[in-house]
Amino acid sequence: MTRPFLSIQAIEKTYGAVVAVKDVSLDIAKGEFMTFLGPSGSGKSTTLYVVAGFLEPTRGDVLLEGKSVLSVPSNKRNIGMVFQRYTLFPHLSVADNVAFPLKVRRRPKAEIDAKVSAMLKLVRLDRMAERMPAQMSGGQQQRVALARALAYDPPILLMDEPLSALDKKLREELQVEIKRIHAETGVTILYVTHDQEEALRLSDRVALFNAGRIEQLGTGRDLYETPATRFVAGFIGNSNFLSGKLDRRSSTACAIVLPDGVRFDAAPSAAIEPQRRDVEIMIRPDHFRLHNGERDDGLPKMTGTVTDTTYLGEYTLIAVRTAWGVPLTVRLPPGAALPDIARGQTIDLTCDRANLRVF
Amino acid sequence: MLLDFDRLGLFRIVLVGIALLVGAFLLLPILLIVALSFGSSRYLQFPPPAWTLKWYAALFADPDWLSSFATSLEIAVTVMIVATLIGLMASFGLTRGRFPGKEVLRALFLTPMVLPVVVLAVGLYAFFLRLHLNGTFAGFVIAHVVVALPFAIISICNALERFDKSIEDAAVLCGASPLEAKIRITLPAIRLGLFGAAIFSFLASWDEVVIAIFMASPDLQTLPVRIFSTLRQDLSPVIAAVSTLLVGLTIVLMLLASLLRKGKPA
Repeated sequence: MTRPFLSIQAIEKTYGAVVAVKDVSLDIAKGEFMTFLGPSGSGKSTTLYVVAGFLEPTRGDVLLEGKSVLSVPSNKRNIGMVFQRYTLFPHLSVADNVAFPLKVRRRPKAEIDAKVSAMLKLVRLDRMAERMPAQMSGGQQQRVALARALAYDPPILLMDEPLSALDKKLREELQVEIKRIHAETGVTILYVTHDQEEALRLSDRVALFNAGRIEQLGTGRDLYETPATRFVAGFIGNSNFLSGKLDRRSSTACAIVLPDGVRFDAAPSAAIEPQRRDVEIMIRPDHFRLHNGERDDGLPKMTGTVTDTTYLGEYTLIAVRTAWGVPLTVRLPPGAALPDIARGQTIDLTCDRANLRVF
Repeated sequence: MLLDFDRLGLFRIVLVGIALLVGAFLLLPILLIVALSFGSSRYLQFPPPAWTLKWYAALFADPDWLSSFATSLEIAVTVMIVATLIGLMASFGLTRGRFPGKEVLRALFLTPMVLPVVVLAVGLYAFFLRLHLNGTFAGFVIAHVVVALPFAIISICNALERFDKSIEDAAVLCGASPLEAKIRITLPAIRLGLFGAAIFSFLASWDEVVIAIFMASPDLQTLPVRIFSTLRQDLSPVIAAVSTLLVGLTIVLMLLASLLRKGKPA
C-alpha cells in the first residue's frame, strides 16, 4: 500500500480525567472526502482541531505526507478551514477576505487579483466582490469562507459543521456546491457533521465517532448495510431492535430465541462475547416481509398487530406491535404493499437471514 | 411589562414632569455658567447686563491659564494612550485567559471606580511621596491611569466578548501569526470598543480634580486644579469661560462616543 496522504495515528486528548478522544487512528488518501460523523461530544471536532493545530493531543501523531505536523504552528500548516460559525473578517470586503491569506503570504498583487477572481468564480460569487460580510446571507458568507480557505491551494481543507447554521434548503444547495468544488479542485477534505444524511451524501468514506472513539470507518454503504456495532446500526438509518436470548452458536451460525419462542438463525457476530446470552437483533424497516399466513417460505415468523399505516407516496410505513409489546416500523415500497392491511389486523413478519444482524 | 409607559394614563404627565425637573436641576447650573461666561458683569451678575467675549480674550491672554490647558491636554492624551494600551492587554487576559483568580483580578481592576476618590488620592499621594512622583508629569499620568483603566477595560472587554474568537482562529489558519491576526483582524473588528476606551480614558483624566489637587505642584496644574485654586481667591468670570470650554470639550467627546456606539460596526 502506498503511503497515506494524511495519517492520524492513535490520537488521544484528555482534559484532566475527561477523555475527549481516545485512540483515534485513520489514514486519508489524497483527494478523498472523509467525514467525521457522530453525536455532539463524540470527539469528532476535537480530532479536527488537532489536525488544525488548535489543540495539542495528549498522545499520538498527525502525519502529512509522512511528516509530523504537530510541531508546526497552525499558521504554518497551510491548512484551509471553514468554521461552523461565520468567520469572515467583518471590516473587509469579500474580495479582501479572500485575498487575506495571499496578502499574508506576500504574493504579488497581480497574482492575488487573479486568484481572488478565480476563487469567487469557483463559489459563484464573482459579482459580490465589493460586498461587506454584513450585507450577505449566511449561505453566501460560507461560500466566501470556502473561497478564502481554498485561495492558497491548501493540501487539506477542514470543514467543521459549515452548514449547520443554515436552513434545510440552503444546506442541500450548498452540499451540491461542496461536492462540485471537491470534484473541480481535487482537494482532500475532512468534514465534520452530526447529520448522517449529509455525511452519506458528500463523503467517500465516513468515520463514525462515539464517546471519543471511531466506532466504524467505511463507505456510507458499509455503515448502513454492515454496521459493526449496535451504536452504528442505531445511528445510521432507521432500525428495529428486538431483544432475545442467544440459544446456540457455532463458527458459521447462531440462533436467537425471541420472547414468543420464535427462533431466528443469523450469521454470528464478532461483537458478541462468548459468554453473553442476552443479545439484540437488528432489522431495517425495509427488510421485513409481511405475510397473511397464506404462503410459507420456511422462514421463522413472528406475529404482530398492525397499529397504524401511513401512506407516503414513495413508500408506506406500517407500525406493528409484536405479541410481547415491542413497537416495530415496517417500510414497504409502493408496489409491494399488501392492499388489505388494516389497523388491528394480525400479520406475520419475517426477514431473510442475510438481513438480520445480531449485537 | 407591568409598568408600561403607554398604559400609565394621567400618571404619565406626573412622570414626565418629574423627569423634566430633574433634567433642569442637572443642566441649569451648567447653562448658568455658560451664560455668565458671556456676560459683561465683573461680579457675575445675572441676568447679564450685556454680552461680551472679553473674558475669553482675557483667558487666552493669560499664560498661566494657557499652560494649565496645555498640561491638562498633555496628561489626558498620555493617559488615554497608556490606559487604552494597558486596558487592551488586560482585556485580552480577562476575556481569553484561563487562570485561577481571573474574576478576582477583574474585580481588582474595576475597584478604582467604586473606591472614594479621596481615599485613592490620599493613598497615591502617600505612596508617591516615597517614589518622589508627586508634582511630576509621570505621577499625574500614573494616578489618572489608575482611575481611567476601569473605563477602558469595561469598554474593550465588552467589545472582545462580542467578537467571535473563531474569526481570529480563521485568520491564523489563513497563515497569519497570532500577533498578526490580532493586529490585522481583531483590533479593526473591535475598534469601536477601542475608541470608546480612548474617549472615556481621556475624559476620566480631563475633568478629574480630586487626585489632580494632590498631584499638582505650583508649575504643574491641570485646568480643574487651577479653576479650583483660582476660585478660592477670586470670583472672576474668566473661570466661567474656562469652565464653559471644559464642558464644551466634554460634550463634544461624549457626543462622539454615543455616535460611535450607534454606528454599526460595518
